[in-house]
Amino acid sequence: MNSIITLTLPSDVIFTRFASQTAERAALLMLNSCDADTGNWQFVHAFELAVSEAFANAVTNAEQPGTLQTVIINFIFEQQRLTVTVRDTNQQFSTETPTPDIDSYPEKGYGLLLIRTVMDNVSCIRENGANILSMSKQL
Amino acid sequence: MTITETLKGSITVVAINGALDASTAPELQRSPAITNASQTVVIDFEHVDFLDSSGLGALIGTLRKKRDMSAETLLSCMNDRISQVFEITNAYRLFHIFDDTSAAVDYATQLISRK
Repeated sequence: MNSIITLTLPSDVIFTRFASQTAERAALLMLNSCDADTGNWQFVHAFELAVSEAFANAVTNAEQPGTLQTVIINFIFEQQRLTVTVRDTNQQFSTETPTPDIDSYPEKGYGLLLIRTVMDNVSCIRENGANILSMSKQL
Repeated sequence: MTITETLKGSITVVAINGALDASTAPELQRSPAITNASQTVVIDFEHVDFLDSSGLGALIGTLRKKRDMSAETLLSCMNDRISQVFEITNAYRLFHIFDDTSAAVDYATQLISRK
């Protein structure tokens, strides 16, 4: 199965669950198409969680709240590998942020840690004024 | 997401139904037993199907505010998907976590009686 599904959402936090549930469905579709174990919750949850984090990050870092911006999510299906890209036009950010020190009770800063942990490969590039966060995982 | 609060003696059980993420975490933070910093709560995750770092942040913020007022935040009935978020972030070290809500309420009652 080699195909791409593109989802364009308004840059609004209320669409966070829509994005993460779409990622969950995409991962299930990947499992089904590869005749893999559909009970592989780790694979499915990895995409649900990573996309939730990436979308929320894109929305909460929006430079111009209230303007009509969009977040574009691509689901790229390849043999035994699913890749998700999340594109936003916010300021450039790095995926090399430090891990929060849990003992000081931080309320923020866990998103990239979660993404890096549940995904096999994570990268972020700046292209034509947009951030493109790419996250992939092998079956 | 829906939130139901039930008083069990001096403990409030906060039962969440749905997903706790960036769009719903503020709703939890506004619920009465959470905003009342001196109220010890057990947050029941039996019907929570998803948690992300925004939801986790709301829980940690709740824990910190309540501890400042000598109250506690206990968690119960987390499934594997929820537990994974706590394990990756080491947040399980901050909370008392129980498999069963009744056991959490009993423990919370003991904690309060010692204070």
